[in-house]
Amino acid sequence: MKSAAKAKLSAALTALALGSALGSLTASPVMAKASVEPEESDVNTLPAATKSWFFVQRGFVLSGTSIYDSATGKLLGQVETPILSDMALDPLGKAYYVSQSIWTKGSRGTRQDYITIYDSTALKVQADIDMPGRLLVGGRKNNFIVSEDGKWGFVYNFSPASSVNLIDFTKRKFVKTIELPGCADLIPNPGVGFSALCSDGSMATVSVMGAKPAITHTAPFFEATNDPVFDNLAYDKGRKQAVMMTYTGLIHIASISATPTIAPAFSIQEAAGIRKGETKPLEVNWYPGGGQPMALHRPSGHLFVLMHKGEYWTHKEGGEEVWEVDLAARKVVKRLMVEGKPRSIEVTQEASPRIITAGEDEAVRVIDPATGNATYTIEHAGGGPITVIEP
Amino acid sequence: MKKFDPDALGEKMLRRFAGGTSRRGMLARFGAALVAAPVFPLLPVSRAEAAKPDRSPETKTLFARTAQTADDTKCNYWRYCAIDGSLCTCCGGGVHTCPPGAEPSPVSWVGTCINPEDGKAYLIAYRDCCGKAYCAKCDCNNTDRETQLYTPQLNNDIIWCFGTTSMEYHCSTAVLVGAA
Repeated sequence: MKSAAKAKLSAALTALALGSALGSLTASPVMAKASVEPEESDVNTLPAATKSWFFVQRGFVLSGTSIYDSATGKLLGQVETPILSDMALDPLGKAYYVSQSIWTKGSRGTRQDYITIYDSTALKVQADIDMPGRLLVGGRKNNFIVSEDGKWGFVYNFSPASSVNLIDFTKRKFVKTIELPGCADLIPNPGVGFSALCSDGSMATVSVMGAKPAITHTAPFFEATNDPVFDNLAYDKGRKQAVMMTYTGLIHIASISATPTIAPAFSIQEAAGIRKGETKPLEVNWYPGGGQPMALHRPSGHLFVLMHKGEYWTHKEGGEEVWEVDLAARKVVKRLMVEGKPRSIEVTQEASPRIITAGEDEAVRVIDPATGNATYTIEHAGGGPITVIEP
Repeated sequence: MKKFDPDALGEKMLRRFAGGTSRRGMLARFGAALVAAPVFPLLPVSRAEAAKPDRSPETKTLFARTAQTADDTKCNYWRYCAIDGSLCTCCGGGVHTCPPGAEPSPVSWVGTCINPEDGKAYLIAYRDCCGKAYCAKCDCNNTDRETQLYTPQLNNDIIWCFGTTSMEYHCSTAVLVGAA
């Protein structure tokens, strides 16, 4: 009897262990019954975008831009962005625009440049707008911009002569090409057209409303070859300001209008209480770096900058710290250590923002600006650039 | 009224010049100039010499201080001071040679790199090889004097496959153009 009872107990324990092992393999801790009903395939749709969303372009090798919610760290979907394409958001939230290029025979044949319009709920193609050409570069957010009212698109072209394609999103048509000699990096200029940075260190402003585009320039304010402004500048449509960062760490703020004005620059290093960045070799200091080295939190006017230690001409280096700059006070108010040597940074535009970084390790991190801790680390997510929903 | 005609004016001037000179006369004058040359102070040249860039270690970038001349399949090979992409030397090509089936772009971005053997600066044309899928071997991303899109000739992110039959990027070469 004893041995029989022992055998029974042992069998019961084995069944229990097996059950618990199986239970741990299923998704629910409750022993829910697996559905055995016949099913149909269906397709998800996206809800309306919220300010906690962010978009990560996966990089030079993997196509696609992933949509995440920084509140949950969950992947919600993917916008079809081929390699070297540029994505822009419809400010009204109804569409995603992808400026892209293909050839009729794969990598050869006749080149075709066009903007594909995806609706923002089903991510289905609504239309393609053909245009004459565009720059193939990747990693830039200012080669394809949309006007504040969502009616106009501006696509930078380089053939290798510089120009801009004007797109009418109401009629879904290419309108014309505007010559833009010696300039790039498009900045929205509401009611006027666009502004751009130029090789003489000036800002150009192009009025597109008249029959013939008119181009004016500010006086030069930065050194284009010695201390360049990073391409990925930030535009604040509420304040109508463009915030720009140079390789040495100078912060320029431009008030955007028909005749933009540039405020005197200040050094991010001096704003942190250390000596300013130099262009000389052997001057080890903290420098801004990466492809998308800064992010502007518009509600607070705080700039978040990827900074690394090194010498000058290391402007593509990933960040070791994120410096938070109060632009109005011209002070660095916080320095956070970050992992993964990020080369791209964005910040959600919520009242309590979240920092998003993407870096050399292909991991995307959602970081709490108060503590510097990564709330979520998303592996194999790509290197950016990153886009957020703007207010 | 007679319109200004630069062609006619040019022809007239040249004919007048040709009428008043001979080849021998020209040679004689050129020879005299050669002989007399050392007598003249060569001001522009002297100035250029005086303004010659300082190539001491203190003025060299981190890349230039650590560059080598022996192995062109490594990112720190001296000519690669501003290269970005796959080295063609690792993809079946060479430092100025595209791999089979690829096509060199006639235009490029440029870098100014210092040869550690003679301490001199050279102009390097980073010509992309195009028309084949990305090689993805020996990826380098060096940034000496590399700038942004508004100075495109100094930017190494652009796909420099203009004027080729395909704009597909394969790898990058570093062609020595001459002394900088």
